[in-house]
Amino acid sequence: MASQAPRSATAVPDLAPEREVRWPQRAKFQLANGLSVILVESHTVPKFHGELFFRSGNAAAANRGIALAEMTATMLRTGTTHSTSRQIEERLRGLGADLSVNAGQDTSAISFAGLSDHAEPLLQLVNELAREASFPASEFERERRQKLEEVKLERTQPGFLASERLRKVLFGNHPYALVSPTEQQVSAYTLEQLQLLYRDFYTPENAILLLVGDFDSPAMQGAIEKVFHSWSGKKPDAPQSAPPAAPRGRHVYLVDVPGAVQAQILCGVHAINRKHPDWIKLGLTNSLYGGAFNSRLVMNIREDKGYTYSPRSGVNPLRQHGYFSVSAAVRNDVVAASLTEIFYEIDKLRSLPVPDAELLDAQNYLTGVFSMGLATQSGLLSQISTLALNELPDDYLETYRQKVRALTPPDILSAARTYLDSSNMQIVAVGDRKQIESQAALFGDFEIYDAKGNRQL
Amino acid sequence: MVVAPDPTAPVVTVGVYYKIGFRLEPQGRSGFAHLFEHMMFQGSENAAKMQHIKLINSSGGVLNGSTMYDVTNYYEAVPSNALERVLWLEADRMRALKVDDENLRNQRDVVKEEVRVNVMNQPYGGFPWLDMPPVAFRNWANAHNFYGDFADLDAASLADVQAFFRAYYVPNNAVLLILGDVNSSEGFALAEKHFANIPAGPLPKFADPSEPKQTEERRGDVVEKFGTLPAMAIGYVLPQRRAPDWFAMALLDQALHGGRAGRVYRELVLEKQLAVEADGGIDDIFGYNGPSQITTRIFHKPEVTSEATLAAFDSIIREIQEQGITASELDQLKVKWRSDYFATLEGGRGGHMPKYGLMHLLACFTLFDGQPQLVNTILEDFLAVSREQVQQVARTYLTMQNRAIVFRKPAPAAQEAA
Repeated sequence: MASQAPRSATAVPDLAPEREVRWPQRAKFQLANGLSVILVESHTVPKFHGELFFRSGNAAAANRGIALAEMTATMLRTGTTHSTSRQIEERLRGLGADLSVNAGQDTSAISFAGLSDHAEPLLQLVNELAREASFPASEFERERRQKLEEVKLERTQPGFLASERLRKVLFGNHPYALVSPTEQQVSAYTLEQLQLLYRDFYTPENAILLLVGDFDSPAMQGAIEKVFHSWSGKKPDAPQSAPPAAPRGRHVYLVDVPGAVQAQILCGVHAINRKHPDWIKLGLTNSLYGGAFNSRLVMNIREDKGYTYSPRSGVNPLRQHGYFSVSAAVRNDVVAASLTEIFYEIDKLRSLPVPDAELLDAQNYLTGVFSMGLATQSGLLSQISTLALNELPDDYLETYRQKVRALTPPDILSAARTYLDSSNMQIVAVGDRKQIESQAALFGDFEIYDAKGNRQL
Repeated sequence: MVVAPDPTAPVVTVGVYYKIGFRLEPQGRSGFAHLFEHMMFQGSENAAKMQHIKLINSSGGVLNGSTMYDVTNYYEAVPSNALERVLWLEADRMRALKVDDENLRNQRDVVKEEVRVNVMNQPYGGFPWLDMPPVAFRNWANAHNFYGDFADLDAASLADVQAFFRAYYVPNNAVLLILGDVNSSEGFALAEKHFANIPAGPLPKFADPSEPKQTEERRGDVVEKFGTLPAMAIGYVLPQRRAPDWFAMALLDQALHGGRAGRVYRELVLEKQLAVEADGGIDDIFGYNGPSQITTRIFHKPEVTSEATLAAFDSIIREIQEQGITASELDQLKVKWRSDYFATLEGGRGGHMPKYGLMHLLACFTLFDGQPQLVNTILEDFLAVSREQVQQVARTYLTMQNRAIVFRKPAPAAQEAA
């Protein structure tokens, strides 16, 4: 646009000297009953955030039932030996607290946040949920019905259908293949199963308590000892699953949603977990590829070609096995064109060293965003959770930036060649078969499913 | 401009808010304010397309923008050593946008995919934020499709982009905010250096968003293409912003929609078990400046009729109108309000946008009220609300002639597939 305004300075201002990033101290201790605790002070607002993690989730319960840890978690707040569901909810409100209980593949967790001036009563309530949940039968039937409606609704969401199919394809017989139960599986859950799982998983030896916020650590330590000291319980046996075999060759899986006005693409390939020495290298590679706004994939299929609104790539760190994935919801008539660009950008990163300037930009991005975790209690909690759950070294936060900055173009080339394994990448496309089948079929052996997961001819 | 220093982390958050949102975008150009927001990332006088994104990301920061009813914002969170660079970029695009037809075509395509992924290809997409306005309101400003009809998006031209920029993106219709690791004098000096010589323009002429008086309940139906549950949204028009009734309404909202302890979820989902999900509230309570609603969303069991569901909802409203709330309930609501307010100030968009909430409140209190310092005192007005006031606003505002209802009914094919 033409401008009548006085000129501005035309040169981009240089960056000023960096202010030192100083991570707060972590107070770590263990109670006599085996509960591990990490406390971090952050005085941004008069609140605190916490997680009580248990190192067992849906995968560890897979031999008992699909997503059984999640159903168990859902039941915790519906009643304890002291309190009804309604009393629990009103106590939470009166403490100004938010609380949720969830389970993923590898962990179950009570997550909470509240006012600093009501910290101890909130810890008491968390303690009550972790130890004295009573699993009322009527609450169970209500939650089960809600779960049934939820699993039906999931099958109408393109993002869910894509990730469900990709997980099945990548993980085969491993528990990680199953992200959600069927209606039949939900109907088959019993209260006894949930109670048994609760008894086994929710123990102090299996738990880690993390608190970040506006408190005095020694005083908080005293409150924690008072609230949790009488809890007891052993670490459960962790069933071991054989590592999943990586699918070979490129295959295409189409999930047919008649009438869909857009196609959801999701590609994935086995990668590594969070503890692997190449994790940071792969993280930076991902950031260059499609993990940032300023990444090659976003610049290509969004800002240049306009195929999609929100393309992205990521490394998904499951405990036993991670995977790399690329997703984009694209216009129906550019499914083939989008896949071509997705693979073009991967293969380019696998073939040519990344220019120094681009690498430096990506290093700045990753280190800058990492440090933003410092600025909020929830951001800091998320960083501390990653450390604790993956048993990363104590100096991980302090040394992360140096490790990112030390990486070179040959490191990126080797990470891309090892992990962005395009010839063995699996492709899922969710959309209207009539409009996208011929485009998707160009990219490999081809199977078609309906939204319920049934193979189609 | 507003500076809010806090040295906790070496991170600074910068926002520029323009006082124009989708409510008052030009008629015949639905969705234009949002499309225009995308264009603000497409290049300015000294920073070509890609430079805005590249310069922020490569400084270690993140950026975004959003279009709301009455404001549009652009914001960045960066390591504090990049502050001047961010201010330079924001000043450059406030001074002169430099975009072409190719950029417009590109972003029109991107926006259409945004609408498809968020609305047209999702179960309950746009429910109720896009369904409710045409049912509830009569003034085009409040009643049109804010994401945009595709025909209107197609009709938008580069001339429209230029006209919109000239009309609304003048410095005297904007506020600049710097929060976090900055000291006040440095913040003001840098703002002066980069923004002071951007010339003011005529203040925009805003269309009148007021509504004709509503005299009866309004209802509408929308077909749900994918989802399996029948749903409804019930919206009541809110009292005047910052009037005494408005503060009481916020506490009433907490009584009705405060999570699982709220009366709506408790009655409909936990106790009567007619619904499988129920939520609601006042959307972005500090961030609007025209007719708006408090809205309840209910997803009910297919075997329960919408009449029975609505009757159960109405009995919740009647009970609060007749009995009011208890003293201990009000105490709980206030503690939760205080806690939520602090969370708003600190947070937090995905952990990567520190102080987003504080920025948003400071901006809206500046543009709508001329009083950014309200952020320090407004909490007291919520905590001073009495039981009688809560009951009174329930009687005055939660009435048939003040509400609209949208029924989102699954298409026969969706029910069959379930």
